Amino acid sequence: MRRFRDQAFDWTVWALFAAVPAVIFWQSATSLEEQGAASGGAMENAAFYPRIVAAIMTALLAWHVVRLALARSRKASPFARGVGTRLALVAAGMFVGYLLALPYAGYHLATPILSALLFRILGMRPLPAVAGGLVLSFGLAFVFESLLNVILPVGIFDLALFS
Amino acid sequence: MFELLQGVPLFFNPLALAATTLGIIAGLVIGVLPGLGPLMGIVLMLPVAFHLPPIAGMGMLIAIYIGGSAGGSVSAILLRIPGTPIAAATLFDGFPMAQKGRAQDAVGLAMTASTLGGLIGGIVLLFFSPLLAKFALRFAPPEYFGMALLGVLTIAIVSEGSALKGLLAGGLGLALAMIGTDEFTNAYRFTFGNFNLSSGPHVVAVVVGLFALSELFFQIESGGFLDRPNVQRLRVSFRAFRLIVHHKVNLVRSALIGTFFGAIPGTGGDVSAFISYAAAKKMSRPGEVFGEGAEAGIVASEAANNGCCGGAMIPTLSLGIPGDGSTAVLMGGLILLGFFPGPELFRSHPEIVGGIFIAYMVGNIIMLLLGVVLAPLFGRVLRIPKAWLIPAVLLLSVLGTYALQSSVFDLWVMLVFGAVGYLMRRAHYPLAPVIIGMILGNVLENNFRRALLLSRDGPMIFVERPISAAIIAIDILLLIMIVVSTIRASRRAERDPGPDQT
Repeated sequence: MRRFRDQAFDWTVWALFAAVPAVIFWQSATSLEEQGAASGGAMENAAFYPRIVAAIMTALLAWHVVRLALARSRKASPFARGVGTRLALVAAGMFVGYLLALPYAGYHLATPILSALLFRILGMRPLPAVAGGLVLSFGLAFVFESLLNVILPVGIFDLALFS
Repeated sequence: MFELLQGVPLFFNPLALAATTLGIIAGLVIGVLPGLGPLMGIVLMLPVAFHLPPIAGMGMLIAIYIGGSAGGSVSAILLRIPGTPIAAATLFDGFPMAQKGRAQDAVGLAMTASTLGGLIGGIVLLFFSPLLAKFALRFAPPEYFGMALLGVLTIAIVSEGSALKGLLAGGLGLALAMIGTDEFTNAYRFTFGNFNLSSGPHVVAVVVGLFALSELFFQIESGGFLDRPNVQRLRVSFRAFRLIVHHKVNLVRSALIGTFFGAIPGTGGDVSAFISYAAAKKMSRPGEVFGEGAEAGIVASEAANNGCCGGAMIPTLSLGIPGDGSTAVLMGGLILLGFFPGPELFRSHPEIVGGIFIAYMVGNIIMLLLGVVLAPLFGRVLRIPKAWLIPAVLLLSVLGTYALQSSVFDLWVMLVFGAVGYLMRRAHYPLAPVIIGMILGNVLENNFRRALLLSRDGPMIFVERPISAAIIAIDILLLIMIVVSTIRASRRAERDPGPDQT
């Protein structure tokens, strides 16, 4: 158990990587098979090369899992909390909320709020945080909308300031 | 060679010159800030370059690459924290020199050596790239397959962390490149019925997520958002131009070492900087004490790590095999702008190659001036608190990624790969092989399948052609090296079972 705790991130990433060949084999046997593209020569077989890559990855993952199980990896990767881990998770949660709100609220409404909140949780006082959020989000919007002709998400209110 | 001069009018116009100058300033500033670096700079500005004409866009990205490679020396000298890993060797003498009250000279020497090293690397690039591209015109699908495999393997083997993890990361990149519509059969692969994935995840969204977003998470985790380090004030001084003359042999030698190692895919600036530092130390004059503020130490390290930029661009441009993570993203930028690096680019678009060469050389010259003139700014940049930088980098990542295809889906891709990048870094996996695998994945698969098509599905085509056989032999040798090095590392770990945190 201690070995697992010492290499917690390593095991997590191993599981993540193990999903890759699993998905390749599964999709090759289902979706690509249904499309009639999982057999034949190199030209007509869209699953041929993916299966080779998946097989190589499986072999590498098997090798790696043996190394992990026998604790042959020199660098520890435990789930250790840093001084700002909680804050980083809060910021990540805020960003997820922002992405969910962006198509509805639009850039000019959602982004100043996100940036002001970020400034605030990173330790700035309320007024500079709000001012910083407004200047940063509208300044960048000006560059992208006016100079690079990018249409930023307008949301349900059709908000577009510089385009 | 003369065909490359067609790039002159493409580069010498106000927009391309302004973009290159802006790129140098952005690169220097990003390089100065610890934790960021040329790769992050290129990643963040890639979407902006996408909206510019090809040479202006590439000029800006290349300028960030060279500016960022040089900028890392400033924090190494002033704070004893290298702004980028490639500046690590600079702090050995840069910091002691600053402690003796010569910060001005140390920064000036670093900038001058970086510029001249970069220019020497550029001259080598100018002569060797067309030759290599001309040779590579003999390549057919089996050779391209072998070269792409070589690119993935070398990056994996020399990346930080274990070679096994590097290979797994490269495998993830190859798998990501498979997502989308299959070029040969038009079948949808691994899209799960999602229309947004019909062309695969956008490489920029993946790159920004892996590098920028995961770095932001790390920066927030490490705290100290309002800290402002005490930094010596720098003035504008041209004295370094005179000082560097005393180190001309060291400068040329180090730049050539940097260029050589840069041209070997995966080796990178940090290796070349340490090797040229060691060479300079070995050949030092009596009275030069390395590690206590020797000018020659700064010159060796900085000339090498910027010479490396020119070297890394040789295989990138002539073969389409990136030399390091930064050139992989540069290559991605060139592909986004509609040009695929490789011998065909030299034949069909010599003006683009010429424009890129000129942008690289002119960028270095601009850096010589700006590196000295902007010295007072660097100290101030180092005092910017993280609380200001983190939201700015996040918003730049969001806008840049969104702007590519006006797609919120790309932002979700960026977020997912931000999490993947964070986990990988925590587990000591290198990130660069993912990008290189993703960029080379299509080259690898297409040429593999084309070669098999040519040989009616017989694998002997890869060993029947002499050049292909030679490249495949190198690939196999590299694989054997990976196996041997991993077994040795396991044995070392067995002898010393306590996990270390370093």
